[in-house]
Amino acid sequence: MRQTQKIEFPSRSFEKRLTSMVKVDARRMFTTPLFYVMLGIALAIPILILVMTSMVGGIEVTDPNTGAAQTMEAFTNTWQIIRQTSGADSMMSMDMTAMCNINLMYFMAGVFVCIFVSEDFRSGYAKNLFTVRAGKNDYVVSKTLTGFFAGALFLLAFFIGSILGGSFAGLSFDLGTAGIDGLVMCMLAKIFLMAVFASIFLVMSVVAKQRTWLSIFLSLFAGMLLFLMIPMMTPLDSGVMNVFLCLAGGVIFAAGIGVISNAILRKTSLV
Amino acid sequence: MNAIEIRNLSKKFGSKTAVNNLSMTVPAGAIYGFIGENGSGKSTTEKMICGLLHPNGGSMKLYGRDYTDPDVRAKVGVLIEAPGCFPNMSVWSNLMLQADNLGIKHSRQEIVKVLKTVRMEGAASNKFKNCSLGMKQRIGIAMALLGNPALLILDEPINGLDADGMRIMREVLVDITKNYGSTVLISSHILGELEKIATHYGIIRKGRMLCEMTAEELAASCRTYIALQTGDKNKTKLLLGSRYSRVEEDESGCIRVYDAAESEEVVTFLYQNGITVSEIWRDKIALEEYYIDLMHEKEGRSL
Repeated sequence: MRQTQKIEFPSRSFEKRLTSMVKVDARRMFTTPLFYVMLGIALAIPILILVMTSMVGGIEVTDPNTGAAQTMEAFTNTWQIIRQTSGADSMMSMDMTAMCNINLMYFMAGVFVCIFVSEDFRSGYAKNLFTVRAGKNDYVVSKTLTGFFAGALFLLAFFIGSILGGSFAGLSFDLGTAGIDGLVMCMLAKIFLMAVFASIFLVMSVVAKQRTWLSIFLSLFAGMLLFLMIPMMTPLDSGVMNVFLCLAGGVIFAAGIGVISNAILRKTSLV
Repeated sequence: MNAIEIRNLSKKFGSKTAVNNLSMTVPAGAIYGFIGENGSGKSTTEKMICGLLHPNGGSMKLYGRDYTDPDVRAKVGVLIEAPGCFPNMSVWSNLMLQADNLGIKHSRQEIVKVLKTVRMEGAASNKFKNCSLGMKQRIGIAMALLGNPALLILDEPINGLDADGMRIMREVLVDITKNYGSTVLISSHILGELEKIATHYGIIRKGRMLCEMTAEELAASCRTYIALQTGDKNKTKLLLGSRYSRVEEDESGCIRVYDAAESEEVVTFLYQNGITVSEIWRDKIALEEYYIDLMHEKEGRSL
């Protein structure tokens, strides 16, 4: 004889739903090999750059238009890979510090967020998820937090790699006028700024859904537009104001762009 | 109370209408067989019920509440097309993710229970990508069963399975319908399997609901016939055709007489005309034949 179950629909608060969603994303992030591979890359990049450039003493490049030879100066100080002090006129200059620095981690975070989110749609997991979760807010908040957290870890891994690379290459650790406070503030500002990028990468990922290549392309394109702002926002001699601005910007952007991500998920097909 | 109540549901993909003014009622506690040919709009309807696709028109209620209500949606289990699992994760980890999603307190016990239900106790540590199709489908069902859903939506769970896989799946479905007490909406092409478990049916064609009926109503509308076997089929058909209005030979070579009242009457008639009946029995047409007849009837009307 078939038994019919007694039906109850207990309400779950947003906090409870968000906690469980964050738990799921954290579990996924820490069990996916991609995360550790990227963390390893984040750690290895500064070591390789600092050690190799100090070995060759800079790289000579030829301008394809003029044919003139130009030397990309090698690093002389470990912290150049984090960023030069504010006021230095190097944002557009042709040196190694302008191209190979910690800000590359924003792009790495972008790639991670895109793969992480598109995997939800490609595997069909999004079907299970959005069937039992009518509200999309918890998904957006949780994914932004995951992207932010992963990005922050990439930045920290890069920072540690820079210290190791500087030590291996025998480079100076002199912070000059920036001081240790400036370095700490700089890192904090960079970490908070990651929230802006994480939310942008998420909105691109929910637009592209299972098309990983498209989400990466859109994220890198959108990230590129903001990329040049990072050195201005987070100089090595950052102060409390820089940290505050990055924190406020991160929160405001994450909330604002999160609303857009939410609307996209609510208005578009999820399969 | 009705578990699903749909009124005038429509969905278009560009200029193509996938679901056209569809109305559907699934009573709570029913095992609702959702039948239709490929591209008839079954999966689209199911995806809309799950909130994965947005309808262009119409209304949907689950247990009397709007289908977007988060509380009611938390009690829906779903297996649509393929199970949504991460290929590189173990079966256990995939189930654990869904249990966390649902905020299940005693997730370990619950996972052990659903794995037992789908006969997958020994495969918990296997990577999902290494499982066979049949196993994957059963994992999908296990995932849908987490949290003891009030409504279970299974889209073609038997398709693509081999005979053994189909047998296990049938046992699993019977177990679920007996022990979980969920309302089940199940679509399948394999109508013979569906017939064994469904209490209600809905037949969809070109995005429209052709008819909805209970298993009893289906049984009543499925015509009975007398099936028989003789040594000379052609002569038997000719003779019976002269007396009864509908006489057919089925795929197995049996002759069916649809409008004979009693089998004795048929045997006597044939005997008087020099034909001996070797076997005779009364039967009724199966769901599959009913469905095919209905489709042909509608096809004829639309021509």
